[in-house]
Amino acid sequence: MRDAAPANASPAASVPTPPPQVRRANVARAGLVVTILLLAVVTVITLDLPSLERVARGLKNNAVPLLRGFVQPRWEIAPLAFSSMAETFFMAVIGTTIGAILAFPLSFLAAGNLLGGTRFAVPGKTVLVAIRTFPEILLAIIFVAATGPGPTAGIMAMGIHSIGFLGKIFADVIEGIDPGPNEAIRAAGGGALLVFVWSVVPQVLPEFASNVLYRFEINLRAATVLGLVGAGGIGLPLIQRLQFRRWEEVSMLLIVIVAFVIVVDALSGRIRRRLV
Amino acid sequence: MLPEPAATSQIPERPAGQRKVAAATLATFVALFLVSAWQTGFSVGDLATGTGDFFRFFGRMVPDWSYLPKVWGPILETIQIAYLGTLFGTALALPLLFLASANTTTDRVTLAVSRSVLTVLRSIPDLLYAALLAPILAIGPLPGVVALTLFSMAVLAKLGSETVEAADPGPMEAVRATGAGRNRVIVYAVVPQVAATMTSYILYVFEINVRASVIIGLVGAGGIGQDLLARLNFFAYGDVSTIIVVIFVLVLAIDALSVWARSKLI
Repeated sequence: MRDAAPANASPAASVPTPPPQVRRANVARAGLVVTILLLAVVTVITLDLPSLERVARGLKNNAVPLLRGFVQPRWEIAPLAFSSMAETFFMAVIGTTIGAILAFPLSFLAAGNLLGGTRFAVPGKTVLVAIRTFPEILLAIIFVAATGPGPTAGIMAMGIHSIGFLGKIFADVIEGIDPGPNEAIRAAGGGALLVFVWSVVPQVLPEFASNVLYRFEINLRAATVLGLVGAGGIGLPLIQRLQFRRWEEVSMLLIVIVAFVIVVDALSGRIRRRLV
Repeated sequence: MLPEPAATSQIPERPAGQRKVAAATLATFVALFLVSAWQTGFSVGDLATGTGDFFRFFGRMVPDWSYLPKVWGPILETIQIAYLGTLFGTALALPLLFLASANTTTDRVTLAVSRSVLTVLRSIPDLLYAALLAPILAIGPLPGVVALTLFSMAVLAKLGSETVEAADPGPMEAVRATGAGRNRVIVYAVVPQVAATMTSYILYVFEINVRASVIIGLVGAGGIGQDLLARLNFFAYGDVSTIIVVIFVLVLAIDALSVWARSKLI
């Protein structure tokens, strides 16, 4: 009965009409939604989509065995899945470390409040953005072509890509530090090195560590696909089995990837919550 | 003049526990790094030679601009894939995010199930979805759209449920006090609070999707990546460089557009 309006009050009169600027904003918003949907319709029509029969055939021949593999995993390839996932994990450890070590000095240049001011900050930030824009997997392809396939190519790609992300976040953290302790040390006669060791590092370290762990979570996911282009890790056995349509084995590899990523995320998240 | 104090006694000792934790953390990390280096066959020397090879390789990458007209078609397809993936992902995430928020879903089983599904979906990277879906849904843009839809849905539902859980409970109680059910509370008390943040997240996911859609072609899921791989296999590095430059400009442009739109929102 809660929706029934009392008989003596006219419900329309009790609701005030919105002011004109609100109505205009509503019209603009409705126009935006209609534009977005129209654009979507045009996109669907112009996109080169396969026939329904082809999709149905693909689902029947491939998706069904893939799903069956989740219910009855092929345990005989579990050792391979675990060892290549371990390699993936180790690649992410090294890639993240390289990224963090190289991002550290760059971030102080990009921050602009400690070293040299905006003179370095603008080019520093531009370099970091440029690095971040470059997709990791493209770097991996270039490294595979330049140095040959294997985990080293993937590690290098991850390391370079992580510089962009970590450098940007490190710089933001450095720009947000409290200048008080710096001044206190300088007032006590401490030079730049003492200011750095006793004021800057203690202030930024928890945030840095937390973001390095976060980047590690991202890199672990990224490392699972680097093997698709020959840059090491579990992606290589995965793409081989995909090419030969061995779906039940693909399922086993996927189970290991998902389980590993979820466990590492949970552990890393717990450490991060304690850090900051 | 004050008497000169003994310098050492003035600096308080760090608590022993703190030092032990720091030493143990460092030791664990160094051990982990060494094991990783040993297991992957990585050495610092590789870093130097790899960087050298990389720049030598890059030196050969001179863009061949005559390839440029052939880039626009696949680039358009790339943007279309990212657009549809974001749109469909958003449409699927909107109901899911309320199911995964503790303050809009009181049923603990529903909450646990929806959160677990999202966690599993999020643990798979977008390129992996594309690699799995390309043989299932035929080579072309369709597996790309589906891959990005799944990934966007999982990310948006997670970000969205965090936003919803941080919403002010006051308006919700007020709407509930008028006798409204759960859906009305969501529409009149939660949505107005989270709409701006959610729109900003959608734009952010669109940025991610553009970055993803340029590469999913490498595994046959449509877009410019397919052409990139083909030119690379022909060792046509001039064409490859042209494609990379266009990708670079596209990603920067979409990022700038998205940052601008987000600054208008909040």
